[in-house]
Amino acid sequence: MTLLERAGQAAIVQVEDAGALTIQFWSVLRKLPRVVGVSRRWRCAVEQMLAIGASALPMTGIMSLCTGFILALQSASELRRFGALEFVVNLVVIGFTRELGPLITALSVSGRSASAISAEIGTMVVTEEIDAIRVMGLDPVEFTLAPKYLAALITLPCLTVLSTVCGIFAGYLFLAFNMDMSLRVYFQAVAEATLLRDVALMLVKSVLFGTIIVHVGCLEGLRVRGGPEAVGHATTAAVVKSTFLVILADLASTALFYFMGWSSIG
Amino acid sequence: MSYGTRRVLDGVDLDVRRGETLVLLGGSGSGKSTLLKHVLGLAKPDMGSITFDGVDVTRCSPSELGAVRRRIGVAFQAAALFNSLSVEENVALPLRELTRLADSTIKLMVWMKLVAVGLSDAGSLYPPELSGGMRKRAAVARAMALDPEILILDEPSAGLDPIVSAGLDELILFLKRSFGITILVVTHELQSAFHIADRVAMLYRGRLIAVDTKDQFAANAHPRIRQFLDRQPDAAPQVAAEEFIASYLRGSNDDN
Repeated sequence: MTLLERAGQAAIVQVEDAGALTIQFWSVLRKLPRVVGVSRRWRCAVEQMLAIGASALPMTGIMSLCTGFILALQSASELRRFGALEFVVNLVVIGFTRELGPLITALSVSGRSASAISAEIGTMVVTEEIDAIRVMGLDPVEFTLAPKYLAALITLPCLTVLSTVCGIFAGYLFLAFNMDMSLRVYFQAVAEATLLRDVALMLVKSVLFGTIIVHVGCLEGLRVRGGPEAVGHATTAAVVKSTFLVILADLASTALFYFMGWSSIG
Repeated sequence: MSYGTRRVLDGVDLDVRRGETLVLLGGSGSGKSTLLKHVLGLAKPDMGSITFDGVDVTRCSPSELGAVRRRIGVAFQAAALFNSLSVEENVALPLRELTRLADSTIKLMVWMKLVAVGLSDAGSLYPPELSGGMRKRAAVARAMALDPEILILDEPSAGLDPIVSAGLDELILFLKRSFGITILVVTHELQSAFHIADRVAMLYRGRLIAVDTKDQFAANAHPRIRQFLDRQPDAAPQVAAEEFIASYLRGSNDDN
């Protein structure tokens, strides 16, 4: 195959992926009310919330603490030269609310849950469990996919908030260690630096990233054909694709944010 | 229908009559699994139709398909039990999802099905804790949960020892006699097949080469059927292997 043919085929595959994701997104969205309404589905969704959200708390928290500390440290070493050390707080707060909070949460959840979801659903395809669900007259979307998506919609914003709080707190730890800054002063600076629109952007991003992670995981799982090796491929593909799409979505939403003129302070 | 350029099923025309037990035989690659997928509505044929009691499942609406599916019970080859649910919960699932029966009624119906398959004391076990035979029987119990008119069994004896397999055959005969259901069994186990069948059909390379009553089928003179029934291996691979080795040895002798 020539290079052009290869490029064309790759493009077609990407468009097919995008189309499949969109179709899956709409069919899951339509079934969400059923998840809330039917008690068995809600119980399933709660179990998923524990798996996707609650068990990701320690890892996300620690990752955010580390990143917050690093951000504060790196920015301080540069800002010190301009005598602008007090702006470290602003940088940490804006950095975490606008970017790092949602991104770190998404990367952590993607690694954990995109792989788990695609492996679980892929195995269900291989053992004919998905066929069994269909043949019983039930809908795999309502039975398996929708509870996972609802769980992500609820837990990812919560995790993101936690991540942001941890990151900002780590900034305090650095400044307390470095400058003996008191918590009260830090808190005040944080309150001044936090903008409602930044927090809104943070929550919007978390929902967007959660959507990407769950749907890519489900799609890769449903596409498995074959045996255990295929499930392994699907798991890898799910993590790689969801991470990639999360970062693309991050860029897109950040660009949109700037074009809407919200970047100016105040 | 075809996968890519390979014709998997070609001109298959099969009737299953109400109340009969039809066994579908076929070797590997004959198209049995594909035909089953089509019958269950999991794949669409390029041409033709599949009709259940007048309803064409290749062309009907989703709600009609759902109604038809409720009248069919399926036991898959690998049992396809839900690993996060116990045996009782697995069998109860169709009842909980598709009926409005009270919990106590469902419990009773589940117990009856488990007794019928001989798993009355395994209800609280989970699929990973079951043996192969128990899993297959649990799958049959789940297939029977809604008291279907049609039961479809995919390779029920695959991977089972003769004793357990015979037990499963007796179960199928019991279901046939007690409930008068129509049963379609896909298998390649000849002993089971002739024990439970009313009629036998055989697929070879995507084509239906015979549909007869049990006795007529056993007497059929078609070479492929005879090969299948008499357990004759394909001569070609063995002969080709011998020829290859002979020529290889000859070749190395010439070099010397």
